[in-house]
Amino acid sequence: MTSILKTAVLAGGFVLSAVSAQAASETLKTVQERGALNCPGHTGSYLGFAEVDDKGNWKGLDVDLCRAVATAIFGDPSALKIIPLSWAQRWPSLQSGDVDIIIKASGGTLSRDTELGLQFSNSYYLGTTKVMAHKELGLTSLADADGGTICIPAGASQERQVASYAERLGITLETVAIEKTEELEDAYFSGRCDLYAQWGPVLAIARSVSENPDEHVLLDDVLAVEPEVMIVRQGDDEWLDIANWTLSVLLFAEQEGVTSENVDEMKANPPSNEVAKMLGATPGMGTPLGLPDDWAYNVIKKVGNYSEIFERSLGQDSPYKMPRELTALWNQGGVLFPFVID
Amino acid sequence: MTAIDTGPVPLRATPLGRIRKDYFSSPLSTAVSLLCFGLLLWIGWVLLDWGVLRATFSAEARQAECRAAGGACWSVIANRWRLILFGLYPYEEQWRSALACIAVIATMVLSCIPFLWTGKRIASVWALGFATFYLLMKGGLLGLPLVREEQWGGLALTLFIFTATAIIGMPLAIAFALLRNSTLPWIARTTGAVIDAVRSLPLISILFTCAIVLPFVLPDFVLQEKLYRVIAGSALFFAAYQAEIIRGGMQGVAKGQDEAAMSLGIPYRHRVARILLPQAFRNALPATINQFVITFMETSLVVVVGFFELLSSANAAFGTSEWTFAFVEVYVFVAFLYFIFVFGLSRYGAFLERRMATGQR
Repeated sequence: MTSILKTAVLAGGFVLSAVSAQAASETLKTVQERGALNCPGHTGSYLGFAEVDDKGNWKGLDVDLCRAVATAIFGDPSALKIIPLSWAQRWPSLQSGDVDIIIKASGGTLSRDTELGLQFSNSYYLGTTKVMAHKELGLTSLADADGGTICIPAGASQERQVASYAERLGITLETVAIEKTEELEDAYFSGRCDLYAQWGPVLAIARSVSENPDEHVLLDDVLAVEPEVMIVRQGDDEWLDIANWTLSVLLFAEQEGVTSENVDEMKANPPSNEVAKMLGATPGMGTPLGLPDDWAYNVIKKVGNYSEIFERSLGQDSPYKMPRELTALWNQGGVLFPFVID
Repeated sequence: MTAIDTGPVPLRATPLGRIRKDYFSSPLSTAVSLLCFGLLLWIGWVLLDWGVLRATFSAEARQAECRAAGGACWSVIANRWRLILFGLYPYEEQWRSALACIAVIATMVLSCIPFLWTGKRIASVWALGFATFYLLMKGGLLGLPLVREEQWGGLALTLFIFTATAIIGMPLAIAFALLRNSTLPWIARTTGAVIDAVRSLPLISILFTCAIVLPFVLPDFVLQEKLYRVIAGSALFFAAYQAEIIRGGMQGVAKGQDEAAMSLGIPYRHRVARILLPQAFRNALPATINQFVITFMETSLVVVVGFFELLSSANAAFGTSEWTFAFVEVYVFVAFLYFIFVFGLSRYGAFLERRMATGQR
């Protein structure tokens, strides 16, 4: 089934990217006329990135980034319409204009960039493929796991990544591939597999919500890296600029210590010219993007900086307590960086 | 069912005697019976123990309490039932969604009453029930705030898709069946080709096309809401199968009846509505109920085009850090909901069969 859908999506993307390219340069105008940003949710839930609370409100890292973009445009985080999308539906829905941007734990890949006619922002999250092991096995790295059994999601890229990584290490692993995540995790936690390979955040979350998180360790091995990006239709550079600069502002605010709590103070007494300009204390931040000058101030004030978003969705203020790791700022051992506000 | 007596009448067996005769007549039969009873008892006990005796029902309980109790954790349902039943429907307005579900269920129950079984009465009951449902869900009138279709979800959406599919699909199926039986060969063949084409496509690809590919090819004013495109696709699919079921039923009606009616000068519409279709439906009843059941189950496929129907709202219900461990309980609850509807549907079918059979004796 998945492959049928994929083919349909690819075919759709091929034929239609040309059609939508002309209309796309109007994205910002369309969004403003509609009065809300259309952003993808999930059919169900994707822990930490898009979840639904008891009252039906969305939360999570991806959803908060959508809120940030909506706030940049409208000054109001609620000017956002979350449209539940399945994975297969992402690209056709973007192409057909159902959604304005895809922020849905999706990596930048060659085929998405070229064949599907899409365009990426900078990476907002570094997704790594990692391996979890039962602690009692005493493993420190995957190299010690020769002959072990490993649970992997069936049909996903992890299958290939595990195979090639094991080959590089010169070890053999017996793989158990299961499609449904609940079943897969059940297989690992019930002891059917020694190891469990998965996209990092899913793995870390699975561990943190398990019965005894301390009985499981995440091995240091990084099997693969996937930069998660915001994705827009090709040909609307100004729209991509808005996505990119929203992300940049979130990161720059974190780097300069501007938070939703001290932003008013910072705006009144900016510590530097860059912060002054970012917060709209001096003009020039909005006009080139077609936005009001205080758009970045609104984003920080109403949504928070990158660190605030991360910590409440995945990090220390969330139930998952995930470390930032590669997704930290450049000066904290990570790979994220803001562009320069001049 | 009445037994046919062939020999001397046996003495009336006592219940105990019957049990002995049916299950313990030989050593092998005794062993098999004991094994099966034992197995059933054991399964029953395990389920009872898990689902009731050691289960946690309190809405305040979380993972730790549930694990300690060792049984099912129904607390997840206590906390998340509104999400499962109503999906992303605005929280304050969910009473409307609940009333709408009750309206549709009431309509289904009403249509079981033989008094309402004339074309006009049944049509007006359904029109009324469906209109009530739609008005409550959508609002925008009588002081109810407007809730757009994309926010509908959960059980209410599943019921809406199912009933709309049936209401649109059934007349379409009758039309298809009649057209396919047309005496004009090109009409019969074209209809046949359409039916076969739709039947040779998987439902999932029809839904995907309706929801996602159509916006590329059709202008906006034709498109309307995604929900209605999906319902149209699913109704077409339903009609293609149901048309063949009805046609099968029609073939069971002797051709002589139609010819006799023709010779009496009864017009076509009466021949169809009063002679052909009632008998065709009676013949096709078991298969029709089957088709309804399948259609009800297949509503869960709309999840691939991004609808928050029962199954995806269930997925969202356990998809949060507090409840990821309790997915079995959520699935059991959803299975129970499906069971109620499908079981009701098949009991209704059995009731209809019994009732219609009286006319045949």
